[in-house]
Amino acid sequence: MSHGDTIPLHSSAQSDIDEIENLINAGSHPVTVLPARPPSPPRASIPVSFVPSAAPPSLPSYQKVPPSTAPPPPPLPNAPAAAGSRLGVGIAADGFGSPPDTLTEPVLDTVKRDLSRIVSNLKLVVFPNPFREDPGKALRDWDLWGPFFFIIFLGLVLSWSASVKKSEVFAVAFAVLAAGAVILTLNVLLLGGHIIFFQSLSLLGYCLFPLDIGALICMLKDNVVIKIVVVSITLAWSSWAAYPFMSAAVNPRRKALALYPVFLMYISVGFLIIAID
Amino acid sequence: YKLLKLLVQAVIAEEKPSAGTSQCSGEEQAANNWKGFCSLSSYTPYFNVDTEVVVDRIISSVYPMDDFSRKIDGSPDLYGPVWISATLVFMLAALGNYGTYLIQKRSEPNGDWEFDVSYVDWAACVVFGYAIAVPAAFYFLLQYFGLNANLVRLWCMWGYSLFVFVPASVSIFFFPLLFLVVPSEIFRWIIIILAGSASSWFVYLNLKVSTEGSDTMPLVVSALVLQFALALFIKIFFFS
Repeated sequence: MSHGDTIPLHSSAQSDIDEIENLINAGSHPVTVLPARPPSPPRASIPVSFVPSAAPPSLPSYQKVPPSTAPPPPPLPNAPAAAGSRLGVGIAADGFGSPPDTLTEPVLDTVKRDLSRIVSNLKLVVFPNPFREDPGKALRDWDLWGPFFFIIFLGLVLSWSASVKKSEVFAVAFAVLAAGAVILTLNVLLLGGHIIFFQSLSLLGYCLFPLDIGALICMLKDNVVIKIVVVSITLAWSSWAAYPFMSAAVNPRRKALALYPVFLMYISVGFLIIAID
Repeated sequence: YKLLKLLVQAVIAEEKPSAGTSQCSGEEQAANNWKGFCSLSSYTPYFNVDTEVVVDRIISSVYPMDDFSRKIDGSPDLYGPVWISATLVFMLAALGNYGTYLIQKRSEPNGDWEFDVSYVDWAACVVFGYAIAVPAAFYFLLQYFGLNANLVRLWCMWGYSLFVFVPASVSIFFFPLLFLVVPSEIFRWIIIILAGSASSWFVYLNLKVSTEGSDTMPLVVSALVLQFALALFIKIFFFS
């Protein structure tokens, strides 16, 4: 919790806060799906701008990572304004849930939350553990920030490594990866597979992470043999990460048809990494 | 069972039942399952193939026999053309650059070789442009001459005809390595001429079947010539 105790309140204000919390908790429980954690004790904290923040947010059901900020109770600088904001906040918490909260939280919290989601998705996708409890979990918790970072990073590394036509190299790499992800997803859908479009984009983007590492290593070491070895290893790793999700999505008789374009895309990117010097 | 399925599909295509509703643009109901350009399910019938079907069609495209027309009679697929073209683009760009690398290393061993990204652009434009535009042009020409042509069949056939260039490109570089022979110009020309001839003959035979021997012989011959011209262009641009 990033706010912490800032200003101690009068005791009557504290009981008001408790009352509001009870009302909101009682009203919102049927609607919300809260994560399994003990409710945070009501703490007084006054945000600098006196913007009324929501009470416990109603989390959307796909949110697996609990928000890093426990929501503060509504501030009570003066009673009339607080009453108005209390009502508004109460309605907001019950009806519309999280948007007021994530809009007013500090940027660092949003960034930290997104980063932690990227890291957790990465661990699920790229380091698949056969003993994990839910093989399809990463697909449900998709986001597009991770793939975006990885594609841009790979394009930048290739562009830095190139000695001529740097912008063209970046354009080719970005186009191949971005359009390739879309086309690969369409390919699976057209073959009659069951996959959700953005989940698949997210997945293919995360599977680029090993190739990112390989490209970085190849940029630093300029020996051809080392490059070939590194790219082969990271290529195999990427393909191994993408294989279970793609093959599970289609009819077993069409598995090779769905997987071959994935290998083609990764092999062409690997070749770009080796050849650029 | 597969034969029965193909027969049923052919019958359905003949009768053209009206099915499905158009959701995207509110146009009139199409005669088949076409649901508009925006709906993905209107393209699904053209990807309704299994791995062994695709492999079978690829193999029958390398040997220019006229089995191919019968194989795609009921269900021409677009999976083959799309991914064979993509593979060919990658092969041409990769092996073309590898060729310039070898030449560079032989002429000045300590020189700088640069990866030429424009090969990728050229390969993509040429291969995809050819695979999309030439069958479309022939479709319109055949319709103009009063023959009933199916655009998807033409795309399918031309797409599979490009497959033979993939092993040809690979063998231009790696066949000599097997026999420890320096890749010479004559050898490259021989391979390209063989591949071009096989591909052109394949196109010619299948187009002749589609046009049923009417007065469109110049058209069919021009298809053959075009395919051969593509082979020559590939050789001259990527592999000299």
